[in-house]
Amino acid sequence: MDKISQLMDGELGRGESKAQIERLERDASLLQGWETYHVIRDALRREVGLSSDFGRRLHARLEQEPVVIARRARLAHHLARYTLPIAAGVAGVTLVAWLALSFQGAGPPKGEIVAQLPASAPATPAGKQGAVPTNAGVKDYLMAHQEFSPSTAMQGVASYVRTVSSDEPNAR
Amino acid sequence: MSRLGLRFLPALVASSLSTGHALGQAVEQNDALVWLQRIADAARELNYTGTFVYQHGDQVETSRITHFVDRSGEYEKLETLDGPRREIIRTNSEVLTFFADTQLVKREKRSTRRTFPALLPEQLSSLTAHYQLRKGVQERIAGYDSQALVLEPRDEFRYGHKLWAEIKTGLLLKARMLNERREVMEQFHFTQVQINAPLTRDAVKPGFAVPAPDSSPSLPPAAAAADTGWTVRNRPAGFKKIMELRRTKQGGQVQVAHLVYSDGLAAVSVFIEPLPPSRNVAEGLSQQGAVTIYTKSLSDQLVTVLGETPPVTVMQIGDSVGLKGRQ
Repeated sequence: MDKISQLMDGELGRGESKAQIERLERDASLLQGWETYHVIRDALRREVGLSSDFGRRLHARLEQEPVVIARRARLAHHLARYTLPIAAGVAGVTLVAWLALSFQGAGPPKGEIVAQLPASAPATPAGKQGAVPTNAGVKDYLMAHQEFSPSTAMQGVASYVRTVSSDEPNAR
Repeated sequence: MSRLGLRFLPALVASSLSTGHALGQAVEQNDALVWLQRIADAARELNYTGTFVYQHGDQVETSRITHFVDRSGEYEKLETLDGPRREIIRTNSEVLTFFADTQLVKREKRSTRRTFPALLPEQLSSLTAHYQLRKGVQERIAGYDSQALVLEPRDEFRYGHKLWAEIKTGLLLKARMLNERREVMEQFHFTQVQINAPLTRDAVKPGFAVPAPDSSPSLPPAAAAADTGWTVRNRPAGFKKIMELRRTKQGGQVQVAHLVYSDGLAAVSVFIEPLPPSRNVAEGLSQQGAVTIYTKSLSDQLVTVLGETPPVTVMQIGDSVGLKGRQ
């Protein structure tokens, strides 16, 4: 894996790179390692959204162009945004309880409520709707996760701040 | 020391010359475990109100938090003080999140079972298999003397933790998560807190009009909740399933399987749902503080894995999700 790591860092000469790429083409587990390195490294650099089947697609590309080195390949995707239909252009108090629970053998499932209540505040200009969490689906999953996280057992609702924290990694 | 103890003392001293280090470590671990239990108890039992700073990446956000307990249960209120106003109200039965700028209220029903009434003894002992625990030095935080605890992971599947607990009550005053390069992934830090504050229920009242729950639309039959049918085949060491449940979203139209795995200190949630018709989802990794989120498609299903762990953990879990009974 050492050579592969060097290949990833662009430290190998042309001939050696070619040899390593040929190794990648032959060895599926090596290719998997290469793929994982990239995904992890990009995540650490906050270059989010690199697809997990990147390796497969890389492999396809390698077959066509054996000397191309994807040195810093990254995709400018953002995290999946499953926008709540209700979040768009809604003014007034809105109640969303989209994640209902039902437990293994724990009686009747809890009700799902999606209700829109009369406006109790001035309408928000449409331009401000961006303040709704952009990756709404993931934030809701984070909320659902929080209840079972040991960090909640140790610090109570404080750890829920993650679910309302702002999204922009570089905003201050 | 008892007479029996004295009689065996020479043998004890001799053996501790060789195993002294290990013995010292075991004592130290137990001491740290007792502190962890105190922290969990304090979080549940104390009335407190204060201001804390949440740091992740290069962001710093300040929030106010109040915790109130009476015979009817626990009530908690969190208000963000920086940026758009958000408020979270957590009671025995539900969590309400209020977005002031959009006037949106989200309601999340809490489970009827209390998964973490405390850190259970077996959870505490399994912790030592995956983390090295020790007491750190005493430090002053938010005006209180605190005891530091250090939990170092024994492998690459979890983050390190450093916790600072108030000496007298055990209330957690500061918590930090560190990656393998000892970089801070996330930190909570009280800047001011009043412990055993003379509070009333008013202190945890929502600052917004709580919408009344509407009547429930029809839901899938309860039988569907018995078993999600999904499993994780290749779990990282120490991660045990602690919960399996079925959720619905979008008015019951979409069913989501939710599985939770934990090593006692970190938890990983797995959500499995049908791919949206648009199939317009970006797969891969992202980060929210110390929480890593991994999204991938699995034939016609969408798998979202998230937890306060390094990327390798959520990826290994996400990549080994499958239907039970199939290889």
